[in-house]
Amino acid sequence: MAVRSIDFTRLSLMDALDLAILVEEEAEERYIEFAEQMEQHHTPEAAKFFRLMAGNEAKHGEELSERRTQRFGAEPRSVARAMIFDVEAPDYDAARAFMSPRRAMEAALDSERKAQVFFKGALPAIQDPLVHDLFSELLGEEVQHEALVHAELAKLPAEHGPRDEDFVDEPAAQ
Amino acid sequence: MSATLTHEYTPKDYKSDLKPIWCPGCGDYSVVQAIYRALAAIGRPPHEIAFVSGIGCSSRIPGYTTAYGFNSVHGRALPIAQGIKLANPDLLVLAAGGDGDGFSIGGGHIAHMIRRNMDIAYIVMDNQIYGLTKGQLSPTSQKGRVTSTSRLGSLEAPVNPLLYVLAYGAGFVAQAAPTDLPGMAGIIEEAIRYPGFAFVNIQSPCVTYGEESQQIKGLKAISQNLEDLGHNPADRLAAMDLAQDYGTKLHLGVFYRNPEPPPTYGDLVKERQEFQVKEAIPRERILDLFIKK
Repeated sequence: MAVRSIDFTRLSLMDALDLAILVEEEAEERYIEFAEQMEQHHTPEAAKFFRLMAGNEAKHGEELSERRTQRFGAEPRSVARAMIFDVEAPDYDAARAFMSPRRAMEAALDSERKAQVFFKGALPAIQDPLVHDLFSELLGEEVQHEALVHAELAKLPAEHGPRDEDFVDEPAAQ
Repeated sequence: MSATLTHEYTPKDYKSDLKPIWCPGCGDYSVVQAIYRALAAIGRPPHEIAFVSGIGCSSRIPGYTTAYGFNSVHGRALPIAQGIKLANPDLLVLAAGGDGDGFSIGGGHIAHMIRRNMDIAYIVMDNQIYGLTKGQLSPTSQKGRVTSTSRLGSLEAPVNPLLYVLAYGAGFVAQAAPTDLPGMAGIIEEAIRYPGFAFVNIQSPCVTYGEESQQIKGLKAISQNLEDLGHNPADRLAAMDLAQDYGTKLHLGVFYRNPEPPPTYGDLVKERQEFQVKEAIPRERILDLFIKK
């Protein structure tokens, strides 16, 4: 996770909403990428889960966009996607060929936790009380999401079989 | 002629319908995303871009963009890119490939691209292994590396791609990694904008055959931003000094950017053509050269 050129002490409510939207967009796009990777590699269960996560992120993004439009209309954004990286999106190396649904959910769990670290880390620096309220609310939502993924994980049987790495071919001489 | 920028492009405009088949977790997924972003920032329409690659996992990359693509011959991305650029100088020409393609099979071509100063941005996805053929020693594999073709450990020192291109006099040399996608996109954009041969080495981990220390977590542990180190990218000797850390530290950013870029080969060719055209025989009289009167 990385952020750059964001001064949380001077963050306005509009910028904060825009940042939160960008965070959701990034996560949505990454989950779609992961779903496509899984589909290409014949791993339909993980693909289905990543599509579900992409849908969730899209829904949150739309909710935030509605709030933003209601409050600030079409005022242009002053924050950009280049300012954030891997905030709520799973890390690129979290995907693995033939990953089980459990591994996919664990990757999502790590992402929800990363988002919490981001919002929690920003809170002490935030001066604007409205921005503080927004980030606190978003932090609370991420905690809820983590609990939801935990609940889904609990429904899965424990894994005692081979790990996905076991399916990878051994290096071979040409 | 380049089109007037009447349309604002987004990264999605450069994404093709072809789905990448790299191993999930491969560093190249973030490289292609960085290329989409860089091209959107540049804003040239896809039909004005030619993207050439060699052979290897990373050389699949042109197919995942909407630019004209040529997944060519092993090690020959650069000569083909050069031909395209000379035939149609208005095209934005990108070349890409892996460390084996660039520094082993095609290793002889880089020096000539640099001395000619072809206006081409060359992106190497360096994973220190031949991944597509299942894990053989590559030119950037570290000494001692155990692979399927070096069972007891490699006896060879690796090629240092950064020092190599700096020594030949490349005008733009940078390094990026998937540890920082926005930074990588910015570097690729800068390389494309540089008027001349630009080289970007991207440490792109091979998730299947790469070593643990070369995966994203390992790279994060050794990465240092050149800007944070106070490096002056106009200082070529300082760049060469830092480039010697290749393999032990991961410096990210621009090592060297020639503050006074020399003319490109294309500029010189154009100049010569303009000079020669004054003395050129009109097309309708060319046969006169061969027909005795």
